[in-house]
Amino acid sequence: MNIENTTIEEKVDSAMVEQFVTFNIGNETYGIEVLKVQEIIGMTHITHVPNTLPFMKGVINLRGSVVPVIDMRKKIGMEEMEYNAFTVIIITEVKGKLIGMIVDSVQDVVTIPVQKIQDTMRFTAQVSTDYIKGIGQIDDNLVIILDVDMLLTTEELAHIKTA
Amino acid sequence: MAEDAIRQVFLAETKELLENLENDIVLYEETKNPELIHSIFRYVHTLKGGSGMAGYEDVYQFTHALENILDSVRNGVLPMNDLLADIVFASIDVIRLRLYSEEDPAKMEEKFNVLKAKIKDIETILQVKDEADIVADTMEEEKASEPQPIYNFFRVKAKFREDIFKSGIDPLIIMEDLASLGMFTELRVNRNDVPLLENLDPEKCYLSWDVILKTKSKEEALDDVFIFVRDDNDITITNVTKNYVSQPVIEDVPKLGELLLSKGMLTEKEYEDVLSEHEKTKKKVGEIAVTKGYIEENDVSLALKEQESIKKHLSTSTLRVDAKKVDNLMNLLGEMVIGFSGIKRIAEEIEDEKAYRLNNALYGVDRIIREFQEHLMRIRMVPIGPVFEQYRRFIRDTAKAHGKTIHLEIAGGDTEIDKTVIERISDPLKHLIRNAIDHGIESSKERLAKGKPQEGTVTLKAYHQEGNIYIEVSDDGGGIDTEKVLQKAITAGLISKNNDIPLVKIFDLLFEPGFSTAESVGDLSGRGVGLDVVKTNIEALRGSVEITSEKDKGTTFKIKLPLTLAIIDGMLVKVAHETFIIPILSIIESVKPAKKDIKTVENKELVVHVRGEYVPLLMLHQEFKLPRTIENPWDGLVVIVESQGKALGLVVDELIGQQQIVIKSLDREITSSRAISGAAILGDGTIALIIDVQGFLNS
Repeated sequence: MNIENTTIEEKVDSAMVEQFVTFNIGNETYGIEVLKVQEIIGMTHITHVPNTLPFMKGVINLRGSVVPVIDMRKKIGMEEMEYNAFTVIIITEVKGKLIGMIVDSVQDVVTIPVQKIQDTMRFTAQVSTDYIKGIGQIDDNLVIILDVDMLLTTEELAHIKTA
Repeated sequence: MAEDAIRQVFLAETKELLENLENDIVLYEETKNPELIHSIFRYVHTLKGGSGMAGYEDVYQFTHALENILDSVRNGVLPMNDLLADIVFASIDVIRLRLYSEEDPAKMEEKFNVLKAKIKDIETILQVKDEADIVADTMEEEKASEPQPIYNFFRVKAKFREDIFKSGIDPLIIMEDLASLGMFTELRVNRNDVPLLENLDPEKCYLSWDVILKTKSKEEALDDVFIFVRDDNDITITNVTKNYVSQPVIEDVPKLGELLLSKGMLTEKEYEDVLSEHEKTKKKVGEIAVTKGYIEENDVSLALKEQESIKKHLSTSTLRVDAKKVDNLMNLLGEMVIGFSGIKRIAEEIEDEKAYRLNNALYGVDRIIREFQEHLMRIRMVPIGPVFEQYRRFIRDTAKAHGKTIHLEIAGGDTEIDKTVIERISDPLKHLIRNAIDHGIESSKERLAKGKPQEGTVTLKAYHQEGNIYIEVSDDGGGIDTEKVLQKAITAGLISKNNDIPLVKIFDLLFEPGFSTAESVGDLSGRGVGLDVVKTNIEALRGSVEITSEKDKGTTFKIKLPLTLAIIDGMLVKVAHETFIIPILSIIESVKPAKKDIKTVENKELVVHVRGEYVPLLMLHQEFKLPRTIENPWDGLVVIVESQGKALGLVVDELIGQQQIVIKSLDREITSSRAISGAAILGDGTIALIIDVQGFLNS
């Protein structure tokens, strides 16, 4: 009985707030749903893969599984930066598969009330919005919430297939 | 709980049993071998008993009725005709539906009742008919369907004259001619007469042959083969078909004498002679036969060996294991291989006298791991025969629906293939078979007009070659009409007009996704219905498929599959700062080229001169867009690789060494490069990509 109660409470809770893992890329703060994150690991050896998307850095060995990693700086069109002690790889689960995201540093796990999340606004044409889910607000800070399922769009996937 | 367990076992066993039952009925229709009637009856009987025990009352009731009918067949009261076969097939379908699906019980009962009514009909006919009448009927029936074996078996002993080469005849060509009539099920070459090397005269023939040929041809065809040599060489041809065709199921280890008899090595008279001698003197049967000069000592030892293998075969017991358990073991072993190569790496770094001992010890472990792996792999390997067999029913039904008569031929059924591969190949195979029946084999009328036998043949063949498994689906139908394919491809916009396209490429068009649409079935009498799906499925198994076709001769789909999906031997090479793995199976050699051996073609393509041949050269760093660490091809090493008869030189910085690797698949989303087939984790934890030589050559 007890167990049931808590799950119901959780459900009510989760209907109003959502939890996000936040991280930094450049001066910006990004967030992804905590449930989508499997783990966060330090920088490790990356094996280069030929003939792939420009932001696909290669593959890493995650306890015996081969996991592709994306450089988020390249993905969002920022200058590449040399990896340092803060650089981490966030392992996320995308459509049943693992994908690693290389980010400058990881920040926190935050809870954001749903009503504080704005739908993606219309940006100028320079900003790609497919993988941005919305804009969250914590105090005065802006958190760009990413949709990990859209990290590799079908368009891009099609591109690698024909390349 | 206990009941549940019984049901589980019953369901698992019945699945197989139903398949066997189907096959035996189809086989009976083809061969009319009376043994099969008994086995059909036994299957139904087992099914009855099992279903009763597992608590499937309806199935029990139904199979009981079915069993009664089959009992009459067994006793020769009722002929096993088309009508009856159809009823049994329909019964199998209904039982399957009942046991393995969630069909509405009311509907099920209706289906059972329909069949029961049919069975009743037959039973009433039985009762009404006068006993004598029926006996007469069946007699006639039997006469008409006198077991007509499709295959004949001949034992051919050929001892050629020593000076046969002088007459310009090559015995080997004759033997090959003979082989082309069918298949050698047994082949022995007698080398006893070959002298020591110093006495050997290369212009003399010392060998003699003793073979069993399985063939559709008649004895005259065999005579024709030997027509020029029969007179002055020692050639004997004996028809031993009866020993092979109705071979009873071996339940006991046969006595040596019986074995020799069944092989046709002893005639019946000789056999009796030997046996009576054996009773008198208590000498060994083999010895007697040899002293009497009926057979040679060699034959005896061979027969003994066979006896031994039958013994072994009979004493092996099987164990049903959940496939997941084996998969888990496989994964664990994979991790162990990775861990082990890590230890080996460290051992290589130690510079101590202990390192020698350590390496020795590791060598031992390495051997055990390999052996372990091999045995584990063998658990997963199952013969493909049963998969082939299960198409018998499918072919019979499909052919019937199309008004064609088609015979299925199976070769290499004992070829062992990884279970996962088998599971995933069965749908594509079915598709190809349907294609062959539907579009490949012509109607009976057409066939007769072309002077072909009325009955079409679909052949399923499996074999191992170069570390791969090949499965061929071929038909002896009309072949692919290349003109029509081209026309269709042009209308579908796959190719432009007036394009000179090589034959192979035309066949490849059939695999194009756009080629097959629902409308095209009617207007194209060629093929191409959903073949793209077949190709995708096969490629998902790291396999490939190709077509060969000849007009009016038939079409063959040749599927190539890897032996196992898990582990390969690889050569580790260094390119720039990355490590790549080249499968050992693809490597011919590696050479350090001299500057003068490397030439350019049109100032672009590089070639290397190796052993009198020019081989195209590829700078791997360039191919994989890695930084250039070697200036010229001759600064590195060239690994010559080969696939499908084409060779290619890959320029690498250096060779690191040979290692067993566990293949991890690489999502096609990560790279589209056909040159990469997967990844592997090395001993130091880094990942190396595996080079797909075939992909390289094709891209």
